[in-house]
Amino acid sequence: MDMNGQERIEAPVAIVWAALNDPEVLKRCIPGCETLEKRSDTEMAATVTLRVGPVKASFNGEVQLINLNPPHSYTIQGEGKGGIAGFAKGGADVSLTEDGPQATLLAYTVKAEVGGKIAQLGARLIDSTSRKLAGQFFANFGKELAGQEIKA
Amino acid sequence: MNDMTLTREQREARLEGMGCKRKRVEDIRFTQGKGQYVDDVKLPGMLHGDFVRSPYPHARIKSISTEKALKVPGVLAVLTAETLKTVNLAWMPTLAGDVQMVLADGKVLFQNQEVAFVVATDRYAADDGINAVEVEYEQLAVLVDPFKAMDADAPVLREDIKDKTDGAHGPRKHYNHIFEWTVGDKDLTDAAFRKAEVTIKEMISYHRTHPSPLETCQCLCAFDKVKGELTIYGTFQAPHVIRTVVSLIAKLPEQKIHVIAPDIGGGFGNKVGAYPGYICAAVASIVTGKPVKWVEDRIENLTATSFARDYHMTTEIAATKEGKVTGLRVHVLADHGAFDACADPSKWPAGFFNIVTGSYDFPVAHLAVDGVYTNKAPGGVAYRCSFRVTEAAYCIERAMDILARKLGMDPAELRLKNFVRPEQFPYHSALGWEYDSGDYHTAMKKALESVKYAELRKEQAAKREAFRRGETREIMGIGISFFTEIVGAGPSKNCDILGIAMFDSCEIRLHPTGSGIARVGTKSQGQGHETTWAQIIASEIGIPADDIMVEEGNTDTAPYGLGTYGSRSTPVAGAAIAMAARKIKAKAQMIAAYKLEVHEDDLEWDIDGFRVKGLPEKFLGMKDICWIAYNAPPPGLEPGLEAVSYYDPPNMTYPFGAYICVMDIDVDTGVYKVRRFYALDDCGTRINPMIIEGQVHGGLTEAFAIAMGQEIRYDEAGNVMTGSFMDFFLPTAVETPHWETDFTVTPSPHHPIGAKGVGESPNVGGVPCFSNAVNDAYSFLGATHIQMPHDFWRNWKAAKELGAV
Repeated sequence: MDMNGQERIEAPVAIVWAALNDPEVLKRCIPGCETLEKRSDTEMAATVTLRVGPVKASFNGEVQLINLNPPHSYTIQGEGKGGIAGFAKGGADVSLTEDGPQATLLAYTVKAEVGGKIAQLGARLIDSTSRKLAGQFFANFGKELAGQEIKA
Repeated sequence: MNDMTLTREQREARLEGMGCKRKRVEDIRFTQGKGQYVDDVKLPGMLHGDFVRSPYPHARIKSISTEKALKVPGVLAVLTAETLKTVNLAWMPTLAGDVQMVLADGKVLFQNQEVAFVVATDRYAADDGINAVEVEYEQLAVLVDPFKAMDADAPVLREDIKDKTDGAHGPRKHYNHIFEWTVGDKDLTDAAFRKAEVTIKEMISYHRTHPSPLETCQCLCAFDKVKGELTIYGTFQAPHVIRTVVSLIAKLPEQKIHVIAPDIGGGFGNKVGAYPGYICAAVASIVTGKPVKWVEDRIENLTATSFARDYHMTTEIAATKEGKVTGLRVHVLADHGAFDACADPSKWPAGFFNIVTGSYDFPVAHLAVDGVYTNKAPGGVAYRCSFRVTEAAYCIERAMDILARKLGMDPAELRLKNFVRPEQFPYHSALGWEYDSGDYHTAMKKALESVKYAELRKEQAAKREAFRRGETREIMGIGISFFTEIVGAGPSKNCDILGIAMFDSCEIRLHPTGSGIARVGTKSQGQGHETTWAQIIASEIGIPADDIMVEEGNTDTAPYGLGTYGSRSTPVAGAAIAMAARKIKAKAQMIAAYKLEVHEDDLEWDIDGFRVKGLPEKFLGMKDICWIAYNAPPPGLEPGLEAVSYYDPPNMTYPFGAYICVMDIDVDTGVYKVRRFYALDDCGTRINPMIIEGQVHGGLTEAFAIAMGQEIRYDEAGNVMTGSFMDFFLPTAVETPHWETDFTVTPSPHHPIGAKGVGESPNVGGVPCFSNAVNDAYSFLGATHIQMPHDFWRNWKAAKELGAV
């Protein structure tokens, strides 16, 4: 599964970068995220409950941050296991560029491989669900940062 | 009833015997929702079993923990390979001489393979239990492409046999190799190719698909600890074979196993094999002491129980410039998935694929089939065809079209030129079969005239010109196929399943009042046996079909038979029915002779009784004979009127047919419209023309599905991409074209009533016909062979690759 896109976030690059590394912010923004623990500066463990078509499953995953180039880019990669529902593994290249002093363009390229029951549902469900989840994440992320900006 | 008051026509009509379009008696219950299927059977205290399945196509199992699952309310037991090992059932033999894991033992070899069996008080609790079973996997390299199976660095799939150099069908060339099967004379064939004026060579693939009956595979096992008896209700196309196999592998005495196949909602080959679900439900019932039901869901059916086809056929024909074929050479790479669980007669690892010379008089031919393992579900069943016959028909019918194109000949003309001629029957094919009867030229010519073939070709030429001028974006294809099937397995001299000869049987018992019951070793899954079997008896012994009850599927009451698949019911059991009826008729004749006070030889049969030759008023009807047989038999003759026949056919039967399809395809969208589909079938004597027509409609619809979109597709990682009806094409009335049916009648000379079987012909002939239509449509743009299935996307892609879009 390949997906890429770009989002404009109403916050400066530094704040966006900090938020992307903040487990609490990520936990609130990732759709279906139940737990997210930071194991080290570059490692996290997460539990996410997802529904893809008729399959609903809880995925336990390990996430690593590599290719760190703060505050401009990183690669987030990981693997999640959902028991009989299947598994997903892959990564996303994320890069931030300034779009004026109060806004950031976040570009992402996702490459993921899904297996098991969720993969059997066919590309159209996986792709549309992935896009929907990405959309939800950025909506949440935008709101989260918009709030921070006011505080700041 | 006084028979003398009725005319001969009325007496004949009252029987509703052979040739009558008798309405299906089973439809009275089916159309009212009163069929009794396995899932309708509910026993007191019944439990439900369901599988934990592997998300990985190839992985080592590091651990399985059932602890949490056993704490789920309602869950009573969880079976794993370790549990099954205690009763020596972790593996089971397959029909093809291989062994297959019942539950994953150490590793999994295909996605959705059975890993553990959770038994609970209801299906919901079982599902919760499945989610709580913890399995730790270590992913292994996946082998999806059969062409890479025998690479030096291919992953080792079957560790259990990796060092075995001999398989069930001879030497193995590689650790992922199953068998090589060769037929024909290689040297003579090679010589024919060396001398050939024209040759063609093409790799023709018949993709993996699935029979997908609407009712999935299921069973209900009930073990009675007190009596030590096991009762199994199941969706079995071959209930007796299941009983014998269960007896052999579970070491239970055969008389203590009761196998009952109730109404079955379609089989199409899917319900021939033995599946892990049956074994697990039986073991679970023995363990818990309660009845255990297992019912597959749709995803499980499509992804785990037997698939069909997956043959990759490199086909070569040698011919003269004038279009006379001189040799055929075929190499098949057969993808069998993780275990060789093909449901073929045991000595035939590639089924009857050596019917691949088709309807043509090939002087020499050579065939080699290599079977390989891949990380896909096991199977290879005969999906609405005799064993690998649809693959063979597709292979030769596509290849003949390719040859016609190379020669610049019309494909119909090429076929007519090479058909086996009527006077050559019984015909010995270059690959070892003896075709019983046929008149191919008559059938083909009738088909061509019926569709006005010459006019269609003219129209096509005009449309092609219009396309070239840019006036239309639609292209027209005319598909022809002429198939010869080989059905009715089979003669014990060459057919058996695990040593069980492939005879079939019938027991007829007439009652004193002139009605009766017929029990048969076959098992209808929708074919209408309750209707047609009674018609054979009606014609043979003059008892109206309505007065004959037909019963199948209960191994305690039905005589031993090998079941229903491969269009074998009419060729084998149909013969047994006629032979049993004739035994009854012979006894009836003795009774009539005694009562009419003449010698038996002075009697003649007259529709529904015996008449004294030359004395038309001296007549004794079968109804009266029934009463006399029980209550006043001739002295010295034992009372009663019943007979059993076990029929071992002397040969297979060879139905054939000519199909023509006219199709229009929009090159910009790939959308096709089947304008016309004409199917002429010759299945020998026709028992019930209405049922034949229904069978042809159903078979053509499945052929349409397969040719035009239905497939089991795996991605590169081994995920099944077509695991539900959202992605797996099952045509409804909306997509299905209109069918025109026709027939000729060339009876089988060796069959007691001359019938050949028809249920699968339309699938065998239909698939190449559709595919030839698509290929014919694209041929003027330069296409030689476009692989199936021909869905909209692939049609569009073909047009694009040919530069038409």
